[in-house]
Amino acid sequence: MQFSIITSSLLHVGFIIFTILGLPIFNNPNVDIPPIIQVEILEITEQTNVPEISKREVEEKKIEEKKKDNVKINQPIMKPKIEKSDEKVKDPAPEEEIIKPETIAEKNIVNMPIRKPVLKKKDNFDELKIAELIDMAQDTKPIEDAKDEEYESLDSTETLSDKLTLSEEDAIRSQFLRCWSVPLGIKYDDSMVVKVKITLKQDGSLMKPPEVTDHQRMNKPSEKYFKVLAESALRAVRRCDPIKAPAADRYDKWKDMQLSFDPRELLR
Amino acid sequence: MRIVKYLIVISLLFINSAFALIEIDITEGNREPLPVAITSFFYDEVDSIKLNEISKNLSEVVSADLERCGLFAAIDKDAFIQKNPAMHLRPRFEDWRLIKAQALVTGRLKLVDDDKLRVEFRLWDTLAEKEIEALVLITTTDNWRRISHMIADKVYERLTGEGGYFDTRILYVAESGPKNKRIKKLSIMDQDGANHRFLTSGKELVLTPRFNPVKQEITYLSYFKNLPRVYLLNIETGNQEVVGDFPGMTFAPRFSPDGSKIIMSLAKDGNSDIYVMELKSRVVTRLTTNSAIDTSPSYSPDGKKITFNSDRGGSQQIYVMDNDGRNQKRISSEGGNYATPVWSPRGDLIAFTKNFKGSYAIGVMRTNGEGERLLTENWYQEAPSWSPNGRVLTFYRETPTNEAGQGHSSTLWSIDLTGFNERKIDTPEDGSDPSWSNLMQ
Repeated sequence: MQFSIITSSLLHVGFIIFTILGLPIFNNPNVDIPPIIQVEILEITEQTNVPEISKREVEEKKIEEKKKDNVKINQPIMKPKIEKSDEKVKDPAPEEEIIKPETIAEKNIVNMPIRKPVLKKKDNFDELKIAELIDMAQDTKPIEDAKDEEYESLDSTETLSDKLTLSEEDAIRSQFLRCWSVPLGIKYDDSMVVKVKITLKQDGSLMKPPEVTDHQRMNKPSEKYFKVLAESALRAVRRCDPIKAPAADRYDKWKDMQLSFDPRELLR
Repeated sequence: MRIVKYLIVISLLFINSAFALIEIDITEGNREPLPVAITSFFYDEVDSIKLNEISKNLSEVVSADLERCGLFAAIDKDAFIQKNPAMHLRPRFEDWRLIKAQALVTGRLKLVDDDKLRVEFRLWDTLAEKEIEALVLITTTDNWRRISHMIADKVYERLTGEGGYFDTRILYVAESGPKNKRIKKLSIMDQDGANHRFLTSGKELVLTPRFNPVKQEITYLSYFKNLPRVYLLNIETGNQEVVGDFPGMTFAPRFSPDGSKIIMSLAKDGNSDIYVMELKSRVVTRLTTNSAIDTSPSYSPDGKKITFNSDRGGSQQIYVMDNDGRNQKRISSEGGNYATPVWSPRGDLIAFTKNFKGSYAIGVMRTNGEGERLLTENWYQEAPSWSPNGRVLTFYRETPTNEAGQGHSSTLWSIDLTGFNERKIDTPEDGSDPSWSNLMQ
């Protein structure tokens, strides 16, 4: 019994001595602890007007740095600046593959999701990310099909596509200007604006009779000037029937229209 | 709960998207006159001898009235495609649209009891394909010209929203003879120059005739005992009288809107002020007491205000005051001398003559003096008078005499509020001081 106790104790002591001498963590070298330096933290915007570096620029720098670090990649790297389409046309083939100008032209620009060319900021460079970028550079699919989570669509995209382009609006407006014989005799006040709702067929002709939104006002005896103005607006719409319609593929956008006939500049 | 909120927001977005309506503002238009087709009125074959000429003349007078106002263009009858009487019941609208007519006037004449003329007319909107006005008038056959003016008034009113002014007359001073020995006669005619007649012989000088807005009566200036006096003349009975026997000169008379008063200037001891006389009681009230010359008074259409001109500020300017003479305030401020202010029947504008940089202009300004617009400028012109609807002004214009003492003329003109459509009104002799009547009842 005593032998066992003595043997166990000796083995424990021996193990402990071995551990102390053998394992490096217990070898505590003298470390020069650097002196504590006091640092005053200031808001940088209070001290300087230097503009903040955008996330995009930060990312560009990172890509450039990695290129310099001889990251061995055989494929060309997409430049984030894609707006200089002229340069791209002149560039050799790999660059052209990134975005073909004619591909853009074929698509309706209004329907194109607007992308923010903002790349996620990461603290450490990720080679996989570069690979993703390269994959995207090779992708010849139209931009709107790309569903890269790093690109965000603007909220206004839907609203823009709901509207006609300015030139389409102007083309419609100019037709009604020519058809509208303004009743120059009427007495003008600020409320003399007639709104007419129209529904058009695909060929630009009226689907149903034009409708004055405030038609009740037309029947008031005290509103004879409004009635005359409204009738002139209705005549203009009918006289212009059918109008030269915008593109048929966007029929659902211009099928219903509201025309505001405002004689302010002519009668005031 | 949060999911429900999201669903509501998303559904609202979809609703908004579904009802998004393209809105287009039309702020300019075609200023060209509205093309109107005015057809000859149909009649039964049995009445052709009596009605053939009337039918032709009637549509010509309607066309001329509408064309003269500048807002309508009568389409040449040779261009008409549909010519049968059926058009008076239901026109073939596509035929009229083809010749660009936006409105169509059709009519039928018939002789009824005692050879009276029954005139039925319809106004059609060719684009909306519907009748927009219809009227029957019965009169004697020799009154066809007035009927024509009344039809033109109805068309004008229906298509502009403004009352017409074709069934009206113009009173003016007819002038003849050399400039230093001018003969001036009081004259009256329809607004288109027809039915002209002289009301005085020319023995006495007459000036500034004005219509009573509610009666067949006029007031004018003539000489009595070698002094200028204000006269009243009933143009139906021919009765004439001097308004009051004042110690000084009276001039620039004008009726109040209800025709019950005459407002005028009275000059005494070199000072001219504005007075108003109640015609029934002949009670006279002095409205201005300024030492300067106050003259050319004109009532606002509601009778509450009076505009006049005065040189109290050193030059002749336009002033506005209450109908009792209070709150006198200068409104003209653009430089130059202003005279003959006249309040518009619509109440929104004051017309005036302006002498500026050697020429004379007829212009309008708002009743607070803002928005001055000169409609026409010339060597010499003055005395604007409003059409009853406040859309057109008539005035007279003189040309200078040349070195040989010839070339002087005085003619009547009209111009509309836009400053366009200036037209000469033809008169048998020279004319000045025109005054436009109200619509005849």
